[in-house]
Amino acid sequence: MDVIQVEHVRKRFRDKDALDDVSFSIPKGEIFGFLGPSGSGKTTLIKILTAQLSPTSGQASVFNQPAEMMHQSSQKMRFGILTDNSGLYERLTIEENLELYRKLYDLPKSSVDRVLQFVNLSGERKKKVNLLSKGMRQRVLLACAVIHEPELLFLDEPTSALDPVNSAHIYKGLRYLNENGTTIFLTTHNMTEAELMCNRVAILYQGQVQTIGSPKELKKQHRDNVVCVDLINGETYELPIGEGTADQIADWMKQGIIDRLETKEPSLGDIFIKMTGSELL
Amino acid sequence: MSISLKRAWAIFVKDYKEFSRNYAVSFSVIVPILFAFLFRSAGPSLPGAIGFLLNTSFVLLTCLVQACLIAEEKERNTLRSLMMTPATTMDVLIGKSTLVFVVSAAALTIAIYILGYKPTSMWAFVAAIILSIILYTAAGTICGLFSKTLLEASLSIMPVALVFTGAPWGVLLADNFPLFKVLEYAPSVQLVHLLTLHNAGFTTGDLLKPLLIMLAWAALLTIASVMLYQRRLKDE
Repeated sequence: MDVIQVEHVRKRFRDKDALDDVSFSIPKGEIFGFLGPSGSGKTTLIKILTAQLSPTSGQASVFNQPAEMMHQSSQKMRFGILTDNSGLYERLTIEENLELYRKLYDLPKSSVDRVLQFVNLSGERKKKVNLLSKGMRQRVLLACAVIHEPELLFLDEPTSALDPVNSAHIYKGLRYLNENGTTIFLTTHNMTEAELMCNRVAILYQGQVQTIGSPKELKKQHRDNVVCVDLINGETYELPIGEGTADQIADWMKQGIIDRLETKEPSLGDIFIKMTGSELL
Repeated sequence: MSISLKRAWAIFVKDYKEFSRNYAVSFSVIVPILFAFLFRSAGPSLPGAIGFLLNTSFVLLTCLVQACLIAEEKERNTLRSLMMTPATTMDVLIGKSTLVFVVSAAALTIAIYILGYKPTSMWAFVAAIILSIILYTAAGTICGLFSKTLLEASLSIMPVALVFTGAPWGVLLADNFPLFKVLEYAPSVQLVHLLTLHNAGFTTGDLLKPLLIMLAWAALLTIASVMLYQRRLKDE
């Protein structure tokens, strides 16, 4: 079952297309990465899928219903969202912020303890938000987004400006959620994050989806089909994959003169640059 | 449109905690009480004192606090987060307005007691105060929704102060400037009419007319604030 379906969605702001004929679907239980540089249309799509924006044309549906329906309270119970436009009440403690969300989602009191454990902030619950570091704030925001254990979670660059330790905390939490059935829609311009977390990714550039697939598939599609061989005498060869190369390598192996043998596989970042001619931000 | 009192209550409790810790905004509560002490020394029968106290307090307390509460939520992106929860427009607006209503009603009750004002008709006076708090709260919501920061919110109430608080003085100029006759329908002017009725010689109609005009203002501004909030839900 697809949780999200996007068909030929276009969104135009004045004289510029933020999204241009975007189509894809996301099955239940997947972590889907929507990759692209800043301003490529990633946040616009999240806003369309959460009924904060209407598409200029095309159709977007979530839970098999038009995305416009996501403004209804019953639908909002089913998804969580964390964007750079999410905020916390500065004068309240972490616990008081989460208490508000618990009451808004009509959850039992134990859900605050559970989600505090989940983001590893149980010991800091009485701390006021205005005293928290950026990483802790982000974890509190994540806690607010997942306190109701949503079926679908929208994350807009959740680890931007976080150090590797805090990012690792977030990744661990997201994997746990995903293992428990939450479908995750993740936008990022961090290729390492996408490779680490996502089952499939789509690369968005200038409002258009350039390619879509699993990181493994994309790497396979875009690899150079050459084998790099370093010999122990210091000679280096880049050979095209084929029968002749196989024979040559077999011969070198029999002689025992191969120091290193590898296929040249591009990273997601390399693929992005190759496809768009742009450096990622 | 569905309303969940549980959610509205949760927002009220959250706002109360934030308000009680935000001294810059909660300081507004003492405005009517300060005015009451000031005017009491001149005697409770000082002409126009009660009208000035109420009309100024509605702007500097009710309207300003509501505008600041909404604008601060916008400035810190918490309003957007709130919009993404199951809380409906009415849950949010009722929750936020209830705090301002309770705080205004309490502060004005204390101020009126200190001033020693005795209304001619208690029920009409209470109704006028309730309607005024509702309409100034709605005006504050509109000001807050148009503001991006707390500072902007403080400035955005200036037109409300100018038109509503200034209207009773503007009306005095209506003989020379006929255009000012329109100010006769300002809620602040209607409130002053009610407050200046004397024990002898008024009819129910004299009470109802100002109340109906204030009711119309309250309804109009409340509808406008709800519509504006819903437009803000969309990010076009």
